[in-house]
Amino acid sequence: MKPLDPRLLTYARAARGYLALTVATGLVTAGLVIAQAVLLGHVLGQVIFAAGTDEPGIFRAPDPVPLSAVVTMVVWLAVVMVVRAAVITVQERFAHRAATAAVNELRERLVTHGTALGPRWLASGEGPGLVTLATRGLDSLEPYFVRYLPQLVLAATLTPLTWIVVLSVDWFSALLVAVAVPLIPVFMILIGKMTEGRAAKGLAVMKRLGAQMLDLVAGLPTLRMFGRQAGPAGRVRQLGDAHRSATMSTLRVAFLSGMVLELLATFGVALVAVFIGFKLQAGNTDLVTALTVLILAPEVFVPLRQVGTQFHASTDGVAAAEAAFAVLETPVGEPGTTPCPDLRTAAVVLAGVGVRSVGGWTPDAVSLTLAPGRVTALVGPSGTGKSTTVDVVLGLLRPDRGTATIQCDQTYPLADVDLRSYWDQVSWLPQRPFLEPGPLQALLGDPEPADRDRAAALTGLDTVVAGLPDGWDTDLGRGGSGLSVGQRQRVALTRALLTHAPLVVLDEPTAHLDAHGESVVLDTVAALREAGSAVLLVAHRASLVATADEVVTVTGAPADAGADDAGTDPEATAPDAAEELA
Amino acid sequence: MSAQTSTRTNPAARSTLVRAVRLTGVKPTQVAASVSLGTLALGCAVALGGVSAWLIARASQQPVAAALTVAATGVRAFGLGRGVFRYLERLVSHNTALGGMTTLRTQVYARLAEGAPEAVLRVRRGDLLARVGADVDEVGYLVVRALVPLGVAITLGVGTSVVVAILWLPAGVALAVCLLVAGWVAPMLTAMSVRRAEQRASAARARMNAIALGMLDDAGPMTVAGRTGTETTRLKDADDDIARAVDASALSAALASGLGLLAQAAAVVVALVTGVPAVQQGILAPTTLAVVVLTPLAAFEATQALPNAAIQLQRSRAAAARILTLLDSAAVVSPTAPRGTTQGATDATTDAGPDEDDQTHPAPSLRATGLVCGWTGRDPAVTGVDLELAVGRTLAVAGPSGAGKTTLLLTLAGLLPVRDGDLRLGDDDLAALDRADVVRAVVATTEDAHVFGTTVLENLRVARGDVTADEARSALADVGLAPWLASLPDGLDTLLGPDARTVSGGERRRLLLARALLVHAPLLLVDEPGEHLDPASADHVITDLLTARADRGVLVVTHRITPLAAADEVLWIEHGTVAARGHHDDLLATAPGYAAAARRELVEPEED
Repeated sequence: MKPLDPRLLTYARAARGYLALTVATGLVTAGLVIAQAVLLGHVLGQVIFAAGTDEPGIFRAPDPVPLSAVVTMVVWLAVVMVVRAAVITVQERFAHRAATAAVNELRERLVTHGTALGPRWLASGEGPGLVTLATRGLDSLEPYFVRYLPQLVLAATLTPLTWIVVLSVDWFSALLVAVAVPLIPVFMILIGKMTEGRAAKGLAVMKRLGAQMLDLVAGLPTLRMFGRQAGPAGRVRQLGDAHRSATMSTLRVAFLSGMVLELLATFGVALVAVFIGFKLQAGNTDLVTALTVLILAPEVFVPLRQVGTQFHASTDGVAAAEAAFAVLETPVGEPGTTPCPDLRTAAVVLAGVGVRSVGGWTPDAVSLTLAPGRVTALVGPSGTGKSTTVDVVLGLLRPDRGTATIQCDQTYPLADVDLRSYWDQVSWLPQRPFLEPGPLQALLGDPEPADRDRAAALTGLDTVVAGLPDGWDTDLGRGGSGLSVGQRQRVALTRALLTHAPLVVLDEPTAHLDAHGESVVLDTVAALREAGSAVLLVAHRASLVATADEVVTVTGAPADAGADDAGTDPEATAPDAAEELA
Repeated sequence: MSAQTSTRTNPAARSTLVRAVRLTGVKPTQVAASVSLGTLALGCAVALGGVSAWLIARASQQPVAAALTVAATGVRAFGLGRGVFRYLERLVSHNTALGGMTTLRTQVYARLAEGAPEAVLRVRRGDLLARVGADVDEVGYLVVRALVPLGVAITLGVGTSVVVAILWLPAGVALAVCLLVAGWVAPMLTAMSVRRAEQRASAARARMNAIALGMLDDAGPMTVAGRTGTETTRLKDADDDIARAVDASALSAALASGLGLLAQAAAVVVALVTGVPAVQQGILAPTTLAVVVLTPLAAFEATQALPNAAIQLQRSRAAAARILTLLDSAAVVSPTAPRGTTQGATDATTDAGPDEDDQTHPAPSLRATGLVCGWTGRDPAVTGVDLELAVGRTLAVAGPSGAGKTTLLLTLAGLLPVRDGDLRLGDDDLAALDRADVVRAVVATTEDAHVFGTTVLENLRVARGDVTADEARSALADVGLAPWLASLPDGLDTLLGPDARTVSGGERRRLLLARALLVHAPLLLVDEPGEHLDPASADHVITDLLTARADRGVLVVTHRITPLAAADEVLWIEHGTVAARGHHDDLLATAPGYAAAARRELVEPEED
């Protein structure tokens, strides 16, 4: 984990300007801190030196310094301190803006890239976590930008500059500091290395215990059903106590590095103070120098200590950023460039298509032809790769085995086709219909009222619209909120009818529909065929399967089985109803 | 002591936070111990500043070296003390906070377990986890991140101001005032800024969340539909709105940071301006001047932690309010007050102890007359339900999706309060019975029941603590999971992933069914047993359930009609009431809606 990952500046351009600003304010702050120490040292030094001794009763010195003699310096001191406050205000003012801008930029990149990686990537591995990362996870970059980064920059500006000033006035104090400062990272790394394994183990235990506890809570409604909710309260406490002791044993070690940091920083300052005190007592230096060193010495350590304190606040942000970079660096397949032929006169053909999955091949060796005016049904038990086959047909996924092509007078591999021009000819009804927000009429593509009413009568959308407050102008929220799943299904079917797409893919269109809804789907499919569309159906219900011109059974195969022996392996295909239908 | 001072800002909020903090069981003495250690740690830093200033000033007067030794030793000791005390403070305060979280979490769990069942059933799972997980943590962090820093700042601020005031009154007074500004006004500004940014940005944030979620959830359909560009623009717009809201509130947070330094500057300058003439007049020793001018440079460290403490206070307060809302909703209706439902189940997931007395009760029957069901605060879902479920009898409740079938099932199981009408278990009003007695007679199982992150066997033992391996195997075989069980690496001892992500939808459904069948309660209410199964298997499972057994009464809620011929009676629910009832064959003849629904299904082949 790097303190400042250069990729952050690549992916979040807003961070660049901010970093420049932070470096500038860091340099200015360093100058101001030094000026403050020098001024304060001079004022105090002159006054105290002139006052002489303060043995009881003889306070009054022969020639004390009046306020008027140092007033200019006091005014300058006040100005320096006020400017310092102003600089920090400006710095923080822009820190928030930069943090939001950087987070937003990363989020937009993440979401766009995630979308480009496609549904299959999003559903596996890191995919499902991407929403949380993009929405809440990245927000933890804010403390990183606002708190941690400025201190990191100060550690690189203020610390060396103040140290140089200490060096110029008193080399031995500078040497003391120079010994203490490098020890801080050395010790922190040493402790980090020593505790690494233990911390990782502790963290794993903590995570496991936390997950078990939340599992019990998540199951509370179920436990209530069986009247068994009372017992686990004790278990929740036990797990909590175990979690606490695991956490504490991790913290005991984790806080050690913080302690070493504080010890070195504070003890270093103490040593400088004692050393310079005795040097002064011996008459080997003057009071102004001594005071300046005394005031500057802690300032050398302040940014280092702050980096240590803010480190915890920043780790979440750094982790989120790294997770984001990992996603952004996942390559997206090279897009094709050949314009797609007219699908009204072409067929989409899959031949022996297999896709590798965790458990083996889902699907394994699927072949089908989607030709104009023909209805093809995909059947097979769940988990054998029906939806994956749809993804291959749509070009969202490239098969690991077999070919996906578009065939007319010549054959175009789907991978070479410009997918935008392909998709413009496709209408896809996923299992959960996707409806963008907006008025219903616009959602259907602003059709002629006559066409619209005919299609709506077929799909039963007309009865739905009759119940809507503003009829066809009703504004539907995201995902068609306010409509039931069945009603949304009808909207999507109507749209599929109205768009006259040459290729229509319906993924389990009868799911969530009662018997009447099902007949609507059957009518829609018939109308689509009549209009000359190629229709691909993913079907469970026999009624739907019966309408198809061709039925393709999708089967899976275990990992080591090839396409050839899949049929002979008794484990490969479970007996299933749908297969017999085919 | 600081536990009270911190929350005395606003009476309503105070009571929320105080109530929640009481539930954590954190004692004031525990907080005081952390505050003392924290004060010692920062006190060392301030003392280091003050004493070293004196040391230098005194040394410049070139006294004998011995006059400096005490101060020199003190400086070194303070230099060491800070790190050590800080380490101890962090350990003690974290231990207190973690203990508080455990107690609060146990309390929340126990109250939800004992309170009105409806409260638990109506929260979404994610919300329940958030309340018991993250929200409890936020309340616990109050100790570490708000109470202790606040206590330390107050103790140290007062202490330092008093000591400086004794040395030189004007400097002490100035320091006190400036510390108050830095420790009170600045945190208020910060908290205000955060609150404002959250308020202003919340709508845009919700929009951003929805768009991002939509884009990633529907990535495929959206790409194919060619809407990625539009959605990205919409996401950018929402993001810009968030940025504007944050930007509008950032100034006060920035001013708060500047204010701390400004206050420090004022304390130093006042000490100088008043101290220099005093030294000139001989009423202030020059060494003391060094102390009163330089101590403020160290003293403001205590107030630096307070802006974050104020933010934490707000967060903890909001979390506490959410937790208490949930607890209060669970506490509302509990007419039977089941104090300590300590029947056999000591630990659903690990305990295998036998239930006390199953099946010793006379065979009960469940009788509803004119029953009205619905969630509190909403319109009734189903009205006018009359039914009787007795041992040896099977009932089916059918109807289109969304007809209120599940609501009826939950009401019959006593998990939702009866809105109107009469519901009796044997001769007793079901609502007046102890939950433990109800559960001994009637058990419901819903479609979304939880699969625990434990072994297959322990998951089945959720139904009953004393399920044996043989019983488990035969129950799994009954629901057609024998091949699945055989394929598991460790058989019944195979661990299932959290929320059974390693189990397919159909397997999960069958596992839940096996669990329900293992219950000893004579009356079983099953919600949608055929969901996630292919039609043939669904029909098989439902028919099995509905085939009468002498020792059990079963009610099945389903939207599938075909297998209902096996039920003694079918209730057809439509438009919020029982539209028709009778045997499957009669309904086919008399109820048009039922017949139509069945006809569509009958297109399916009737094979196994």
